[in-house]
Amino acid sequence: MAETQYRRLTRPHRRKSGFVAVTYVRSSLWLGNDHLLAIDSNGYSESYKRFYFQDIQMIAIRLTRRRLIWNWVLTVPIAMWLLGLAYELVVRRNPDVVGLAIAILWTLIPGVPLLLNNLLGPTCACTVRTAVQTEDLPSLCRLPKTRRILNLLRPLIAQAQGQLAPEEIPARLQAWTQAPVSAPTAAESEPRSVIDDPNVPPKIIP
Amino acid sequence: MSLLLPSCPGCGAALGEGMFNRLDLTPCPACGVPVQVEIFPALFRPPARGRGGEAVIVEGESSCFYHPQKKAVVPCDGCGRFLCALCDCELRGEHFCPACLEVGRQKGRIKRLENQRTLYDAIALSLAILPLLIFYFTVITAPIALYLAIRYWNAPLSIVRRTKVRLVLAILLATLQILGWGVGAYFLFTRIKPHG
Repeated sequence: MAETQYRRLTRPHRRKSGFVAVTYVRSSLWLGNDHLLAIDSNGYSESYKRFYFQDIQMIAIRLTRRRLIWNWVLTVPIAMWLLGLAYELVVRRNPDVVGLAIAILWTLIPGVPLLLNNLLGPTCACTVRTAVQTEDLPSLCRLPKTRRILNLLRPLIAQAQGQLAPEEIPARLQAWTQAPVSAPTAAESEPRSVIDDPNVPPKIIP
Repeated sequence: MSLLLPSCPGCGAALGEGMFNRLDLTPCPACGVPVQVEIFPALFRPPARGRGGEAVIVEGESSCFYHPQKKAVVPCDGCGRFLCALCDCELRGEHFCPACLEVGRQKGRIKRLENQRTLYDAIALSLAILPLLIFYFTVITAPIALYLAIRYWNAPLSIVRRTKVRLVLAILLATLQILGWGVGAYFLFTRIKPHG
């Protein structure tokens, strides 16, 4: 059987695995014919999670404060270097060309990531939910990129599941939450088969 | 699981009806974090119920291989055995018996069930490159890298596009290291003259 052709949606991004990570796992997202493929890789092995378009129930995006935190982390050293530079130029009035060049270089080191951090847009966290799992997608960590991918996925999911008009959502949610949980009938409640081992066919109880 | 109401991905609080499928971020009523939640028709789909299989009524009717008293409904796409509704495991339009499903998953024959791969090309290349930092280790690691690259030449690489360039590089580097050790050993033994 030929392997599915995948199209890359995101570059690998670190998956957080606790405060102190023992392994460095990077997660990326790929688009298949009828599913979304999330790959977690540690460089020597890969694990795959497939989210079929017809099974996706919900995609949720939540804004995070990571961009703000990084802005502070990167701005503090820049401010310190600029203060030092101002002291050298204004108070001591001793502009040294080599010293000036070094100071500018040291300012650029956190300056470029600071610029990139803001050019990439707000940070976010994205989760996808199916009937059996709710999974984080760490590679969807910037809002503009996440929205771009969501716009790409929306028609594919609609093609597999059908369209859900915004005006029918309240009625369907209400009907769904108020639907009584059907009690099993006498025939259904009787055990008709048992599974001793998940790898062999079930045994039928007469 | 399917009956869980869509909730805020941050605090887990249930979200109001007006918060779904909006094209902009809306603050969560509980935690205030801006969220955007898209729901799809699969959310309202009732969970699929298992089927029990019908009993064979007419004599001579084909029956399930595993349950002779049950009527066969479909042949297994893996082994061809007749299966009743209870044994039929449908996987995106294909029908398998539980045994074929398990074997297919273990041996990687059913690609849709494959959920892990070892990247032998990356292991071989790392073994060929990283020990160069402390060169003496290459006397052990170079043969291992060469063995891995040859042994797993035909093993599947990553599920997404990937070439064999890592394996080729690993073979080249490991061969060079082995040759280097060989030449070194040759000069060492030919230059050392026995005393007396």
